[in-house]
Amino acid sequence: MTPVASQPHVYADLDVLRRTWSSRPGLLGWLSEINHKAIGRRYILTAFIFLLLGGIEALLMRLQLAKPENTFLAAARYNQIFTLHGTTMMFLFAVPVMEGMGIYLVPLMVGTRNVAFPRLNAFGYWMYLAGGLFIYGCAFFGMIPDAGWFAYPPLSGPQFSPGKGVDVWAQMITFTEVSALCVAVELIVTILKMRAPGMSLNRMPTFCWSMLVQSFMIIFAMPAVMIASTVFLLNDRTLGTHFVNPAEGGDPLLYQHVFWFFGHPEVYIIFLPALGIVSSILETHTRRQIFGYPALVLSLVGNGFIAFGLWVHHMFATGLPQIGEAYFTAASMMIAITSGVQIFCWLATLWTGRLRPTAAVHFVFGFIFIFVMGGMTGVMLASIPLDLQTHDTFFVVAHFHYVLIGGALFPLFGGFHYWFPKFTGRLIDETLGKLSFWILFVGFNLTFFPMHWLGIVGMTRRVYTYVPGLGWEHANLLATIGAFVILSGGLVFIVNVLRSRRSGPRAGSDPWDASTLEWETTSPPPPYNFPNLPVVPTRTPLWTPSAERAIVTGLREDRREILITSVLDAQPHHRSVQPRPSIWPMLTALGFSVGLAGSIFAFYWYYVASVLGMVGLIGWFWPERPLEVKP
Amino acid sequence: MTGRRTLDVSGLPPYDISNQSPLFWGQVLMCLIEGSLLCMLIATYFYLRLGVDVWPAPGVHLPSLTGPTVALIPLLASCVGSYLASEAAKKDSRGGMLLGLGLNLGLAMIFLVLRAIEWNSLNFTWASDAHGSIFWTILFLHSYDILADVLMTAVLLVIVASGHCGPRQRIGVHVDSVLWYFLVGIWIPLYGVIYWAPRLIGGSR
Repeated sequence: MTPVASQPHVYADLDVLRRTWSSRPGLLGWLSEINHKAIGRRYILTAFIFLLLGGIEALLMRLQLAKPENTFLAAARYNQIFTLHGTTMMFLFAVPVMEGMGIYLVPLMVGTRNVAFPRLNAFGYWMYLAGGLFIYGCAFFGMIPDAGWFAYPPLSGPQFSPGKGVDVWAQMITFTEVSALCVAVELIVTILKMRAPGMSLNRMPTFCWSMLVQSFMIIFAMPAVMIASTVFLLNDRTLGTHFVNPAEGGDPLLYQHVFWFFGHPEVYIIFLPALGIVSSILETHTRRQIFGYPALVLSLVGNGFIAFGLWVHHMFATGLPQIGEAYFTAASMMIAITSGVQIFCWLATLWTGRLRPTAAVHFVFGFIFIFVMGGMTGVMLASIPLDLQTHDTFFVVAHFHYVLIGGALFPLFGGFHYWFPKFTGRLIDETLGKLSFWILFVGFNLTFFPMHWLGIVGMTRRVYTYVPGLGWEHANLLATIGAFVILSGGLVFIVNVLRSRRSGPRAGSDPWDASTLEWETTSPPPPYNFPNLPVVPTRTPLWTPSAERAIVTGLREDRREILITSVLDAQPHHRSVQPRPSIWPMLTALGFSVGLAGSIFAFYWYYVASVLGMVGLIGWFWPERPLEVKP
Repeated sequence: MTGRRTLDVSGLPPYDISNQSPLFWGQVLMCLIEGSLLCMLIATYFYLRLGVDVWPAPGVHLPSLTGPTVALIPLLASCVGSYLASEAAKKDSRGGMLLGLGLNLGLAMIFLVLRAIEWNSLNFTWASDAHGSIFWTILFLHSYDILADVLMTAVLLVIVASGHCGPRQRIGVHVDSVLWYFLVGIWIPLYGVIYWAPRLIGGSR
């Protein structure tokens, strides 16, 4: 289809559109919410609350380790706290916050009105929330996991971890994975089938590419962790199966294989959206098209593939055959190629662009510095002899905090500063933003750099204390001080967000003069996102003169109609009507949650989950009035 | 604003019951998720097999081949019902949808009865040994999936029979068939693994 000259009367009637796409008022409306922006905001806000909890746990650990033979925390309590810290940060913060960014931004970036399956989106959020409440709720009843965030058997098995703590951990995984899988499915379909006309795959923003690759990784990786945590661990503990029991033919290493088949891609599931965020920020703030777009996108896809061939590098110390381990060394080093290509593309973009050093750009520079350091220790750890020496030491702790905080948290904060005007309609304070960056940057390096050294001199991770005279005192004290510096940086960030949200200057639709579609609509966007869906003529539509850009007309406004386009070239194919808000996704999630929570006590609760879930799904799918969708 | 060129899409169909529908894509991705889960269980089966000398443990009677093999007949035949239902959904034939869904349900019920009979004839449980654990996990998960889809198909049948057969329900019938093809298709390798593999690579190593 080719755009034609306009007739004035085809522009959308905004009152009708608003009425059609608005959520219902009141508490019931809040529980029935299915708009992607509201759900995305809830994901982000909930994840930041879990970030605070995980951060408090980190501070408690650092307080305990500040001096030798400290008695601030007992050994058992320390085990619980590092387990909760890792679990919270990986499952309840890092993945969900990236999903939240994707849910909020992807439909705006591809130029459509909502995600493909709005009710599934709501269901996913409620499952995530229930999982978080489940593990922290159980903590009040003393059911706290204490076998680490990857819960290796036999330590986590029935013999060495009696009580319900590990069961809670194992089933919490199910909640968060169901949520992540829901988001992955709806983002893939949104990206592949709902892009604005003209946005062929080679015109798609890099952030959408990163979410697409990440979503496919979730689809292939997350089932593995459900098998490890539920089928192997939970069933061995509660039903008497023998998957990881060597006495009856099982094998604890099987758990490690399956867990890390998920666990390594998990790191990239967290990290890939961050790469997309970095590319978005740089393109806008250097005011040029990102350098090497095809190479960048291919590297993202390459990262996604290679990430599934690395898992054994977490298991070098388990005595696997060395010929097999050598393969994983090579694969682990290969990831440096795809990551390196991206770094060089960004450097070239910076070199040839006209840089505007905003707070968001500061966070990007912090990312490049910290992540490159983490990447280099990663190449070191891929080497088996070095890995054997530093396995389970603070060197590894330093490495993965450099990669995860540097690789995901700094870009996330940068992205938060960048899209804050879109989220709230107001500009975020640049001075406070830069201040929080510098405090976080200094605090981060103060905390984690000494850990490299601590690990090399032999301090193992997950020890609740150490004896004096080993020479570890100063480095540990430094790390503890650094942790509090990070806290103050976080507080500055929170103050900045609250203050700017209330009294920041109005942003307008496009304060950065950016190139991608989310900046075309008002800030914050209306419930229907765009009055008329845009047509995309180039890879940077907003840098194309508006006279050369067409808009879509002919979508009905009195019902939730969207445009479905073809996968590769985004040619308009048909219109489609989306469902209205509904309470059933929330009720379905509630039914599943009650059953899954009960299942750690007795198997029949799975039947409860099934029956309640089935009832919920029937309510969810039951036809709405009017019966027919008329053309 | 009046100067902007426009792309008028009002001439496009307001729905499409085919593989272009978002719901079809969603269903395919759900099948990918379930498929990677079950593939991981197949890998687990052989991993556990390699870890022991005798498979299954002495004293375990291998499940008979006859029952599950006979049960394949109604299972494969039930796909005909799914196919008829989805073709009828595309042509907007309510009678055809009811016929197809009914045929699919009837044959699926026969399959479930045969599976229940077999289920009760096994002389080992998930707690017997590692073989029992993985055998029961695969059997239970697949039965659960089948049962869930049978229930959903029954609900769809009720919905269509009660006069709701707009585009949304017809797309539902189409993607329900897609899920059923997947559940039947994935059973072939699973059946091969849990019934044939122990005979081919079982016993003592």
